Amino acid sequence: MAGYIIRRLLALIPVLLGISFLVFLILHLAPGDPALIILGPKATQASLAQLRHDLGLDQPFLVQYFRWLWHVLQGDWGRSIQLKREVLPLILQRFQATAYLTLFSAFLAIVFGVLVGIISATRQYSLWDRLSMIGVLLGFSMPVFWLGIILQIVFSLYLGILPVSGMQSPDQQGWLDLLRHLVLPSIALATGAAVIIARMTRSSLLEVLQQDFIRTARAKGQSERLVIYRHALSNALIPVVTVVGLQVGYLLGGDILVEIVFSWPGIGLLMMNGIMARDFPLVQGAILLVATSYVMVNLVVDILYAYVDPRISYK
Amino acid sequence: MRIRKWNCLSVLILLGLVISACAPASTPTSAPAAQGGGPVQGGTIVVGLQAEPVTLDAQQMTDYNSTRAGRNIFDALLHFKDESTEVEPALAEKWDISPDGKEYTFHLRKGVKFHDGTDFNADAVVFSYERQIDPNHPYHDTGEFAYADFTLGVVDKIEKIDDYTVRITLKESFAPFLANMAMHSATIVSPTAVKKYGKDFSRNPVGTGPFKFVSWSPGVEIVVEKNPDYWGGAPNVDKVIYRPIIDDQARMNELEAGSVDFIVNIPPDDLARLKADTRFTTVEQPGMHTWYVVFNCQKKPFDDVKVRQAVNYAIDRQAIVDSILRNTGTLANSPLPPVLWSYTSDVTVYDYNPEKAKQLLTEAGYADGLSLTFWVPTSGSGMQQPVPMGQAIQADLKKVGIDATIETYEWGTYLDKTIVEDAQTLPEIFQMSWVGDNGDPDNFLYILLSGDQFPPNGFNLGHCKDDKVDAMLREARASLDQSKRTDIYVQAQKMLTEDAFWVPVDHETQIVVMKAGIKNFKLHPTGDFRFKDVWLEK
Repeated sequence: MAGYIIRRLLALIPVLLGISFLVFLILHLAPGDPALIILGPKATQASLAQLRHDLGLDQPFLVQYFRWLWHVLQGDWGRSIQLKREVLPLILQRFQATAYLTLFSAFLAIVFGVLVGIISATRQYSLWDRLSMIGVLLGFSMPVFWLGIILQIVFSLYLGILPVSGMQSPDQQGWLDLLRHLVLPSIALATGAAVIIARMTRSSLLEVLQQDFIRTARAKGQSERLVIYRHALSNALIPVVTVVGLQVGYLLGGDILVEIVFSWPGIGLLMMNGIMARDFPLVQGAILLVATSYVMVNLVVDILYAYVDPRISYK
Repeated sequence: MRIRKWNCLSVLILLGLVISACAPASTPTSAPAAQGGGPVQGGTIVVGLQAEPVTLDAQQMTDYNSTRAGRNIFDALLHFKDESTEVEPALAEKWDISPDGKEYTFHLRKGVKFHDGTDFNADAVVFSYERQIDPNHPYHDTGEFAYADFTLGVVDKIEKIDDYTVRITLKESFAPFLANMAMHSATIVSPTAVKKYGKDFSRNPVGTGPFKFVSWSPGVEIVVEKNPDYWGGAPNVDKVIYRPIIDDQARMNELEAGSVDFIVNIPPDDLARLKADTRFTTVEQPGMHTWYVVFNCQKKPFDDVKVRQAVNYAIDRQAIVDSILRNTGTLANSPLPPVLWSYTSDVTVYDYNPEKAKQLLTEAGYADGLSLTFWVPTSGSGMQQPVPMGQAIQADLKKVGIDATIETYEWGTYLDKTIVEDAQTLPEIFQMSWVGDNGDPDNFLYILLSGDQFPPNGFNLGHCKDDKVDAMLREARASLDQSKRTDIYVQAQKMLTEDAFWVPVDHETQIVVMKAGIKNFKLHPTGDFRFKDVWLEK
């Protein structure tokens, strides 16, 4: 197992190199001059040229890329062009906010997704099954930004029980305040993932329930609860774990709309502003961090397989 | 089995309810009860900004969010009066101008201290300006000073005469200089703080202004508190908190939920509803802004004044203001916004007249119509609603036989493609807007429409020029005689509208909506938010 993990971690290196090069290339191919965006249309040519020089933007593309890479390898992620701050602490701090949102959403998505999936599968074609599948269809069709606004209007404007947006109230701190701010954006974000997990759990569980060993278990006279939770579910969860892994990755990168609607100070929002401002070091750093965490999440999922399904082992 | 499942669900629901019930839903503005009708002391104002400020060093600011959150921390030598761009004394109590208009001697206010306790004096003034314009200054690399050339480019040297007198010598007589001295880029920073924080001064701003910086949690909030020792009298409110709330709808929800007291950029469709709501007050002010369509005078067919005039007649500008902008702007006839001195409405006005447009096109030899490319940004600072406005213009042009193909670009790309030296790379027409900086007509007419200001020198993006107007505008910027300057600018507006270098469409109205309890707030044409004299009623 240890050897497998080390191999997977080593495989991360070419992946990240490839990603960083691609991102660098795309950013530089996009029209738009960072110096002009920073200084604005009112700047003189001399000051634009000076800033381009200070930022190293007057160097050839490959020189810029390898210079950036060399600095990153030494732990210097550069300084954000637009925000004028060190990139690494900035993205780590924003990543923390995104991590809260992602983890809480993943928790909600898994709990509700799996629960709804089990209810549907064990009562196939019942009213419960139909209702939850209609719910799944609705959840899947709702755009996340629209759902976010509706949640704000219902829970904050009409009911007044949760904050509209942001990550903390002025003059207030602490976990409880953070949790209260997490509820609405997490629901908005989790809905899409939850419905996919629900569908996956349902179809996977239905398939397993048709198999011979379930019939054997039932024939042995085991209680239905034991049959489903011990025999069926542990087998049905393997594809679900795969989907959960992919969905967590999706939540990590796909939360940008939620971050906009809820003014959540996460990395998605930071990246979007960075792209608008052609803030190369910032966007590079943020994408590298998100890509790394995506790969790590999938590594964890692969390792989880071995625990969920004893037939899988890594050597 | 059924019971267990319900247990799981109900635990989760309970958890949600507990979380939501454990603390107050919002932090309402707290202010002591009013006694009589006068200003009340104390309280906090929470402001919802459109985006996170980029910097709090006023000398480096280029965007509204930064100036709105940070301008109150600093003072400049001069100050724009409330609701006007006339200047009044601030850190300079008085000033003398030499007869040739090149030497300005400023007599500084004594006994003023920066928020870090150090003294404001002539050294601080010299430091604040040289830091921006002298590339060899030891603290020049502590920031990027986008406005340095604009504000101080005409300065030849800055000298300290004594501790409270500074003399600034200009390269040439330049009338808008005094107005520049009231701009955010001419504010005075604490030299001690710049030396201490270096590049991070933009996150740890220290000035002499009515509010002191307290904290900045990135992406969350910026907090400033009142400076009880402010030379101009301490502010009434204790604290102002600025929160970036990017989504317009979410910002409005925050206001209605009561967790934010004051918002900007209200969607035009919702404005009427908020205005009718007695819980809120709306404050409006015609801004220093013009939205316009630029003609490329270096390309056919717009090298011909008749075609330019025809397009002016062809576009129903009033309809754009009424139905797209929903009166969040006022119809523009002159390039100059009405809020600026020397503005005149006595210019050539192009009322919507498609017949006249067709006739002019025929006279110019385009009886069979013509086709052209029309660049439109997807969004952008001051661009209001560029795409719907562009589509309306496209539809109007179609009616007179002009087939306009719209090409849209993201704002960063758009600036890059439109501010170019070679006009042949530009399309026939494109959109642009301008927000004034110092309240001087020169800042619109000379910079945007003079032949001296083709890129890369300036912002005359259509490369259009009228030699007679150029000579007049040059004369006006060198003259210190205000009434003479006014005459020239009035005449220039008449000639420029006759030349029809643009289709001016509207001047955006600045609009903020706030809780009804916020009293005495006045919008300033520069877009700054001034909270010094504001008080909260409960």
